[in-house]
Amino acid sequence: MARMKFLCDTDRCIECNACATSCKNEHEVPWGMVRRRVVTINDGEPGEKSIAISCMHCTDAPCVAVCPVSTLYQTDVGIVLHDKDTCIGCGYCFYACPFGAPQFPKTTLFGSRGKMDKCTYCAGGPEENGSEAEYSKYGRNRIAEGKLPLCAEVCSTRALLAGDGDEIGEIFRERVLHRGYGAGAWGWKTAYYPEDEA
Amino acid sequence: MSGDGSEVRVRGRDFTGYRIGGAIAAALLFLALVVQGWELFDGDARTVPEVAWSAAGDAGGESILTDEILRDRTRLQSQRFRSGPSPDGTAETFKVGDAILLGNRAIDDEDAMLTEIWRLPDDESGSLLRGSERIIGISSLPYANAALFERPFARDWRLGLADVVTHVGAFAILGFSFLLALVLAVRGRVPIAKGRTDRTVKRFGLLERANHWLTAVSFIMLALTGITIAYGRTLILPFGEELLGSLGWLATWGHAMFFPPFALGLTAMILLWTVRNLPSRLDIEWLRRAGGFFSDDPDNPPARKFNAGQKLVYWSAVIGGLLMIATGIFLMFPFWFADLQTMSWIMLTHALIAVFLIAIFIGHIYIGTVGMQGAFWAMWTGDVDRNWAEEHHELWMHELDKGR
Repeated sequence: MARMKFLCDTDRCIECNACATSCKNEHEVPWGMVRRRVVTINDGEPGEKSIAISCMHCTDAPCVAVCPVSTLYQTDVGIVLHDKDTCIGCGYCFYACPFGAPQFPKTTLFGSRGKMDKCTYCAGGPEENGSEAEYSKYGRNRIAEGKLPLCAEVCSTRALLAGDGDEIGEIFRERVLHRGYGAGAWGWKTAYYPEDEA
Repeated sequence: MSGDGSEVRVRGRDFTGYRIGGAIAAALLFLALVVQGWELFDGDARTVPEVAWSAAGDAGGESILTDEILRDRTRLQSQRFRSGPSPDGTAETFKVGDAILLGNRAIDDEDAMLTEIWRLPDDESGSLLRGSERIIGISSLPYANAALFERPFARDWRLGLADVVTHVGAFAILGFSFLLALVLAVRGRVPIAKGRTDRTVKRFGLLERANHWLTAVSFIMLALTGITIAYGRTLILPFGEELLGSLGWLATWGHAMFFPPFALGLTAMILLWTVRNLPSRLDIEWLRRAGGFFSDDPDNPPARKFNAGQKLVYWSAVIGGLLMIATGIFLMFPFWFADLQTMSWIMLTHALIAVFLIAIFIGHIYIGTVGMQGAFWAMWTGDVDRNWAEEHHELWMHELDKGR
């Protein structure tokens, strides 16, 4: 069974923010929220790297575990989705997320923050796939159309890879072998193999 | 212990109705504790996939087709000599248009099998892994938390909340309630040993009582809304997702709404009662004899207006309440006073103090109602039976008598 993952090749990411921009446009993400972000570390210093980050769709997802209602749920390909109708805006997922993915329309007090929004892996929500209701709450459902997240498919340097974990791992390893260096899969241990000791 | 047994006219064990009620409650709470014990070990601590993708119009081998569609599409991201139109390239089999190819259905028999498979890296994935570390950089995007890349602590927070605090809280609340019910069943109520008289004395004035109930009602509402949020999945979800969603929404708002009256009541309580609740030498003797709780003998250890037990309740309310208010204010205004890391710790502290306060105040409610004959009227009408006052607060009675 396929297991959907994201992998960002930090040796290729050029911080163009096309992923973030196309994501906002594709899903009409409200003002003040960014489902996909680009983070730059060691800015202006040797070893500067940029990484695109959004929800990683974790294994044993902590947000799903702490959600006090039944808003967050995972599908059999690993995609973590949310149901805006039941969300109460408590913010637990926000504390439990290792990647800062859940966001709220307002940073005001508990309860009045509004409904949580996060990356859907371009897979919509609980509404009927491809429906208008789904689009207005969660954006496009590309997975149902047999496509992968737009952020990865739009990436000009193919730094950001999305899709089945084995396949993108293979693409990345081959690339590293060919060019002779690679910084590994950033965030994979925290997201997909939290209990792995190696 | 001194005292003449012949003075005892009312015995704790004579309250048969209360004792039967206590026994029934104890049995039910014991069952709840067993269920809670089972919850610890039933292995549902892992996140389990609840929804499956399936290819539309293909009844058999659905997951295989879904798999193929997504894997084929993934390979398009490979090097161009592989994925593109080249002699070595593989032609992709699935045409990709805007048509809906995949649908969802709920998984009937959810289990953790997929999660168990996912969490173990094979050699190839294992070779890609790097260590987990906290990474915060800079970001050009206009969002408060945009610069965060990775924060492994969040997974520990999940364990702290979902596993530690929730289970500790359930054991504390259910366990303490069970003990109290058991005490009621075995010991009965603490009686007014010399029996009721016709004479009463004024114990609490209108202001004290009004303020007590203001604080009490808002505390109970804060506790109930908090419990809805913390334990809603266990207690309310069986009655439907819609109900949990609606109650959860009310609870998040209610939790903030009942904070101002609680803070006001607590402040007034501090002003009204602190002086009389300062520790004194008498408290040691009172605590040593456990307040005479387990004997029907009217000769209880001497106390002024508040005995050591009441002082403990008072200081739990004041210290616990102030901590809850302080942590609550931090959480109500995210990013105002604290960053995400600090807020995570504050949230855990808030939850942990809350469950213990709830357990403590279940004890307070018990002794103020069914646990002790005559105690409830002190806070309801404000007048208590003279014998009750003599037995439990003899020094305070003497003060009153001298003042007369």
